[in-house]
Amino acid sequence: MIEVKNVTKKYGSTIAVNNISFEVKDGEVVGFLGPNGAGKSTTMNMITGFIEPTVGQIIVNGNDISKRPRKAKKEIGYMPEGVPLYYELTPREFVSYMAELKLVKRRDRKQEVEKVLDEVGLTDVQNKLIRNLSRGYKQRVSLAGALVGNPDVIILDEPTVGLDPKQITEIRSLIKELGKKHTVILSSHILSEVSQICERVIIINKGNIIAIDTPENLEKSTKEKNGISLIVEDPKDNMKNLKEKIKEIDTIEFVKDNEDGTKQYIITYSAEVDLRKKLFEILPKEEIVIFELKKTETTLEDAFIKLIDTSKIDESNKKTKKEEKNKENKEAKKAKNNKKEEKNNVDNI
Amino acid sequence: MWTIFKKELKTYFLSPIGYIAIGIFMVMYSIFFYLTTISYGSVFMGDLYYATARYGLLLMVPLLTMRMFSEERKNGTEQLLLTSPRSVTSIVLGKFFAATAIIVISLVFSIIYAVIISFFGTVNIPTLLVTMLGFLLVAIASISIGMLASSITENQIISAIITIIVLVAPWFLVDMSTIFSSINLMDKFMSFPRGLISIADTVSLVSITVMCILITIILIKRRKAVK
Repeated sequence: MIEVKNVTKKYGSTIAVNNISFEVKDGEVVGFLGPNGAGKSTTMNMITGFIEPTVGQIIVNGNDISKRPRKAKKEIGYMPEGVPLYYELTPREFVSYMAELKLVKRRDRKQEVEKVLDEVGLTDVQNKLIRNLSRGYKQRVSLAGALVGNPDVIILDEPTVGLDPKQITEIRSLIKELGKKHTVILSSHILSEVSQICERVIIINKGNIIAIDTPENLEKSTKEKNGISLIVEDPKDNMKNLKEKIKEIDTIEFVKDNEDGTKQYIITYSAEVDLRKKLFEILPKEEIVIFELKKTETTLEDAFIKLIDTSKIDESNKKTKKEEKNKENKEAKKAKNNKKEEKNNVDNI
Repeated sequence: MWTIFKKELKTYFLSPIGYIAIGIFMVMYSIFFYLTTISYGSVFMGDLYYATARYGLLLMVPLLTMRMFSEERKNGTEQLLLTSPRSVTSIVLGKFFAATAIIVISLVFSIIYAVIISFFGTVNIPTLLVTMLGFLLVAIASISIGMLASSITENQIISAIITIIVLVAPWFLVDMSTIFSSINLMDKFMSFPRGLISIADTVSLVSITVMCILITIILIKRRKAVK
């Protein structure tokens, strides 16, 4: 279990991570989501003990990472961003070095290395130099380095960056497999990936946590209106009058004319009832032929963009308020100065 | 510490740096063997070690130390080390002793020349051993300085240049003020070739080494908080 309590990280005057707190339970797969520079890697680096938080506490399996680093770090397997590796070693040498670093006992070491190499599918290239391996294999070597020693917590910083689609699915299924036995934290800016693999998502932007929830709940909570995407043949242009026929409709938005003479619309409605049935009944009466009708679904993508946008709006509101305040202060000062000058002038006279 | 020592030593020989460093030592040592021992026709090897320490170490040490932390930092492999359960002290000492091992290997090779001389005269073995001890002490002090330089920059070239400047500058600064002789490693080597183990020189060489190692450890720990 990982507990992050009120952690802040400052670089000089810039705040990289701002007072974040969250918990990750045993056996959970949690995704860190955020745009570039949001503070994902900084947070991960703090959990692994690579950098120290300016303020706050991080506890891994009951051990504070700054106070009892040896015990805490033993429980963590970390795959850093950018896949740093020793290129002059072979995968086997690298993994066995990592095993030694992680205090795997001498008699178990060989077996452990063998197991991990097999698990990530490196057995074929185990004796080639890492320098000569392809990107996908390098990624796996790095992952093997994180897995060796069977740590409770596995932290992966952008594990699928730069891989081809086949490799991505392989790594994803591997991570899913890992989630059965370990606690996994991974960061990503690929949303579909997170919604596929993770049980819980932490969305972070500009050092602040904006949301912590399951992918499904996030999708639900950011969904405002129900929508229906409609492709119809409508020679008499009766779609315009549809709003009068069906009261529940909020808007009818024309999207585009298709080449085959059909038109695409998006209909939104706020009512709880499903409008699809009504549309099926009413549209033929209006001499509109339905080619396609489907419910639009909000995806995690929408949720993400929306959450980030709202956090931006909040921030700009704060900023404008601040600016206004500054302006007021300045004006007040000016007024004061003017008064003083006037007084001086009077005195002079 | 042992883990890191083994890996570092292995890396010295996987990349050609280990071979090059020992090669530089042998070339320098052989040239000075000709210029001192052979041309004087003597069995005294003190000058030989002094000259090799002065010019050989100047090339060997930056070569051995420049990549120590600079490379790890640049490649990001530093993250692997610092997130492992190993302490910073054991990492620093492991690297330090690996570089020292290269010097020890070189010194072992240098015994060949003593064996050659012993065919033509009698080599004073205690003096030779004391000279080698002195050489080793100067070497570890230089390595610790190089290691410190490597821990403050991620550019290997800069790290090497800092090391060379710190080693060479006192040679000339002594002419400006005798104060600088206290940081001139070669001054502290003077008594060893005569077969004398000077406590003052030994203590100052060892303390320079310990000081630089400690500063390296502190710097790396401190960077965790600042970075």
